Amino acid sequence: MTVTLHLKQPPSVPLEAEVLSPNVMAELSNSEIRSLVVYHGKRQVPLEEFFDVEGERSDELILHGELTKVRMIGRAMSSGSITVHGSVGMHLGARMTGGSIEVHGDASDWIGAEMMNGFIHVHGNAGGQIGAAYRGALAGMKNGTIIVDGAAGLEVGMRMRRGTIILGGPAVDFTGLQMKGGTIILLSGAEIRTGAWMNRGTIISLKPLQMMPTFAYASDFNPTFVNVYTKRLKQFGINLPFTASQGAYQRYSGDLSVPGKGEILVWQPA
Amino acid sequence: MTCTLGEVKQRADFIVYWGGNPAECHPRHFTKYTIMQKSKFLPRGRKDRTMVMVDIRETKSAKAANIFLQVKPGKDFELITILRALIKDQQVGDEQIAETGLTREALDDLVQRMKSCKFGCFFFGMGLSMTRGKHMNSAALLTLAAEMNAFTKFVAMPMRGHGNVTGADVIMRWQTGYPFGITFNRGYPRYNPGEFSTVDVLVRGDCDAAFIIGADPGATMPQPAINHLKRIPTICLDPHVTHTSKLARVHITTAAQGISAPGTAYRMDEIPMPLKPALKSPYPTDEEVVRRINEAIAQKPFWLPEGSQPQMISTQV
Amino acid sequence: MLRITGGKIYDPANGIDGQVKDLCVDDTGTIVSSVDGGRTIDASGMIIFPGGVDVHTHVAGGAINFARAMTPEDHRRTQAFIRTQSRRSGLGGMAPTTFATGYLYAGMGFTTVNEAAVPVLSARHTHEELADIPIVDKATLTLMANNEIMLDQMEAGEYERAKNVVAWYIWAAKSYGVKAVNPGGVAAWKWGSDAKQLTDPIDGYNSLTPGKIVTMLATICDDLGLPHPMHLHCNNLGAPGNISTTIDTLKHLEGHRAHIAHSQYHAYGGDDWDTMCSATVQLAEYFNTHPNITTDAGAVLFGDTVTITADGPWQHLLYKLTGRKWGNLDVENETGCGIVPYTYRPSNLVNAVQWASGLELMLLIRNPWQVFLSTDHPNGGCFWRYPEIIQLLMCADFRSECIKTLPDRIKSKITLPEIDREYTLYEVATSMSAGPARALGLTRKGNLGIGCDADIVIYEEEDDVARMFSHPRYVIKGGEVVIEDGDIRETPEGREFLVKPSCAPETDEFMRPLFEDCYTMSFENYPVEFERIENPNMQECVNASEK
Ligand SMILES: [Zn+2]
Repeated sequence: MTVTLHLKQPPSVPLEAEVLSPNVMAELSNSEIRSLVVYHGKRQVPLEEFFDVEGERSDELILHGELTKVRMIGRAMSSGSITVHGSVGMHLGARMTGGSIEVHGDASDWIGAEMMNGFIHVHGNAGGQIGAAYRGALAGMKNGTIIVDGAAGLEVGMRMRRGTIILGGPAVDFTGLQMKGGTIILLSGAEIRTGAWMNRGTIISLKPLQMMPTFAYASDFNPTFVNVYTKRLKQFGINLPFTASQGAYQRYSGDLSVPGKGEILVWQPA
Repeated sequence: MTCTLGEVKQRADFIVYWGGNPAECHPRHFTKYTIMQKSKFLPRGRKDRTMVMVDIRETKSAKAANIFLQVKPGKDFELITILRALIKDQQVGDEQIAETGLTREALDDLVQRMKSCKFGCFFFGMGLSMTRGKHMNSAALLTLAAEMNAFTKFVAMPMRGHGNVTGADVIMRWQTGYPFGITFNRGYPRYNPGEFSTVDVLVRGDCDAAFIIGADPGATMPQPAINHLKRIPTICLDPHVTHTSKLARVHITTAAQGISAPGTAYRMDEIPMPLKPALKSPYPTDEEVVRRINEAIAQKPFWLPEGSQPQMISTQV
Repeated sequence: MLRITGGKIYDPANGIDGQVKDLCVDDTGTIVSSVDGGRTIDASGMIIFPGGVDVHTHVAGGAINFARAMTPEDHRRTQAFIRTQSRRSGLGGMAPTTFATGYLYAGMGFTTVNEAAVPVLSARHTHEELADIPIVDKATLTLMANNEIMLDQMEAGEYERAKNVVAWYIWAAKSYGVKAVNPGGVAAWKWGSDAKQLTDPIDGYNSLTPGKIVTMLATICDDLGLPHPMHLHCNNLGAPGNISTTIDTLKHLEGHRAHIAHSQYHAYGGDDWDTMCSATVQLAEYFNTHPNITTDAGAVLFGDTVTITADGPWQHLLYKLTGRKWGNLDVENETGCGIVPYTYRPSNLVNAVQWASGLELMLLIRNPWQVFLSTDHPNGGCFWRYPEIIQLLMCADFRSECIKTLPDRIKSKITLPEIDREYTLYEVATSMSAGPARALGLTRKGNLGIGCDADIVIYEEEDDVARMFSHPRYVIKGGEVVIEDGDIRETPEGREFLVKPSCAPETDEFMRPLFEDCYTMSFENYPVEFERIENPNMQECVNASEK
């Protein structure tokens, strides 16, 4: 049994719909789901004004439609799953503590922001501030995994404390800004200022990076933890090279300005 | 880490202008507040002060400076970050320093001067805050100033543009807790620059009406934002015909603030200045127009259905 | 018109200790002996207090407004006030927004607040903010002790001139009195050092010492006949061993009236952070033998807050201790202030000493007319947590429970475990209303006598003291029922109390050149226009000679 929602027509202004979460739907009947309150701008409207709803009492949610103006899908969810066929708006899975979200389309900014745990997989591109801390907060994502197959925007993993972010496509500026822990894996590199002001944590890039001047080259090596990651990432079809015959990682440490003990590993094929 | 312009005038013996051109954009800044002034603490005025200019090109202001540092375009953030490392005696490579367009000697000298001054001040302009990196560039300079307080007194202050930008910022803060980028759609203030800031809202087409006072976004904003303003009902309050008033559905001509309308303007250092009108205007003030619109809205049914309340978005999960 | 019947009244100003009596209020919001008609509130079995008066808080102005901007993460987790037809929206938390400040104060029965630190240059800003704080009445104190024009006159021995300068500033800022912060210290901090000793000349002066500033300023306040005496934030705030500075300062005040702000922060023994201990016994003893001086506790509560004070050096020390974000704001010629978000933890020995010291002062100073409830909001904790302090004062058992959660090593550093005093309701009413009102010289406040303002709080008697004091059944401000059953019913505008001390007419001409030399604002633009104050209420100065 699943709950399936089809968007009737795209909202004209942003639709805030934190109720699109398995936690909310799990115990509700079809009519209760249809009358859940969503915010179209400042207007409170029932969910059914924007969605056709099939099914009830399930923690498996399936969404269809052009949802780019629909925000906060899966916000603070703790279990269950959401599958989206289409593109989604901001704050997807923000502050979630468990469960999984899969998007067959693009996502916007702030996906998985301040999440505690769980899994998010976006097959298309994503925006900025993935797994980041909201303005003023000390810590971003504290655990969990976010995978974006496509490109990403600014400030990915800003102030993240633990967890993993994997980007298939290139990122823009300030990836891993003020990072405090966790891992960011860049399969296609990033533009500039990667790892700026990072304190701890690891950024792995398979493409050459333009390093901040405040990172110091330390050594070439093939750390065993990459090996561990490689095994974990296999299930998502991601291949991280790690054997010496393939090449080595150049290790940079920084950011000296903090001064921080973070590391950036840049893959150098043999 | 900020202060008032009077503090600078009285005490600052080391002034850095970063990415601004005060000689041309804020002409009174030099003479009234900063380098030219004599004070009890700096009796010889200009002679007692060191002025540094950091910019990507040699402007008129650079000629007035004791030291001009020409940073490569787009390298401000890197340069500030290097300085953050250098003041803490961290080793930064020559090659890395060279990428910013400056030499180790120049930076060592700058750091030494920064540490040995009695009261240092950074002023930063649009050349820093509106180029690649934006708010992070300003944040970098503010952080550097904060960290400099481990050695001596240091402050940083933005050189804001014209109009009462600071005043709007100050009042939003006391009424809502946030300076800008605020939404009230849930009946209480929420903040997220990039999501709710005007330019982003307009570029994404997230609003279905616009009400503009004392600004001319039609002249300054990116084209998609302007196109959206044309699409939706835009109401503009302005004493003059502007780019925005031309594209607006409604333009209400108001009295010019400070010339024929009283009020308070906040200076860039957040010091309030009374506006004392010298002339009478046939037009109503912005305040009066807004008040009358507000009264008209109050006649309509309340925006929330009887007995309902929007849900707060809890961060306690 | 309003009649409140059957309630037990606690009105220390009139010596009424729990007697059942009716209260009547006329149409002007004044307490009268009888009324005809109007609403009757049956307060049988309930407790009636005069509205609370906060003698020392920071709710408006450049510093708190800067703190608001620095703590968006706190705004997000705090309770929001959602807009209704009678109420504007806002946010509570560590640095509440203006509308929320009024609702929160009124919500716990406080009807008068004193904003204790207004730099003259931003007075206009402070008044604009205060106009946006609904319900409560307000007073402001102008920061004076580091004003260079005044200090220069003191250094030159020109007492009369210094007095005129003070009077001029009070009226220019449209304030109610004088606040002295860290005399001589903030001026020095602007150069990155700090004035520690009362008898050492301060930087940039030959003979002027912090001690001299204290004595002269107290004399000036007395001579000007200000209703509220000098409000003093002593030097060396928060530093281990500062008790000697504090006692030394108090000795400079012999023969004068004065109010010592947040004395908890000034009552430490020891030589460094490791040996720091409470020295409240010594300080309380001084208060017990010197009735000319009042104080407020500046109590600390465990939890998150944001510290803002005009004491730059202390803030910088905090920043170095915590490494949290730091904002410093210096206002030309007057004072500086710093802002640091901070968390007080029971496991932290220094914080534990601070927590105990605040309570000790309130319990060891015997006369509740001398020591008032405060947290130096937001520095020691937020004002809306006052009911927690009342509970700690009223319940010795609850206090012992709390002490048990502190580290063992605390035992030798504090005296709190040996104190078994419990506040009575009468003493609470004195400390949170009648006492501070009298210290502020606001004769119509903190008093339920005939002719006083009808600021009245009605509580449902409950065993849970903290709950009772945070949820009054009714709050009446100026005769209007503003809170009823936990709901905000009315949001009238509050008044602002002002004084106009006499000032020699030539002061304007004397000030002008000095002023234009010191400030970056034209002399004419500087004074806040009287018309700019919303609902001003003039209070009389009583010259010392007429007393
Ligand atoms: Zn205070």
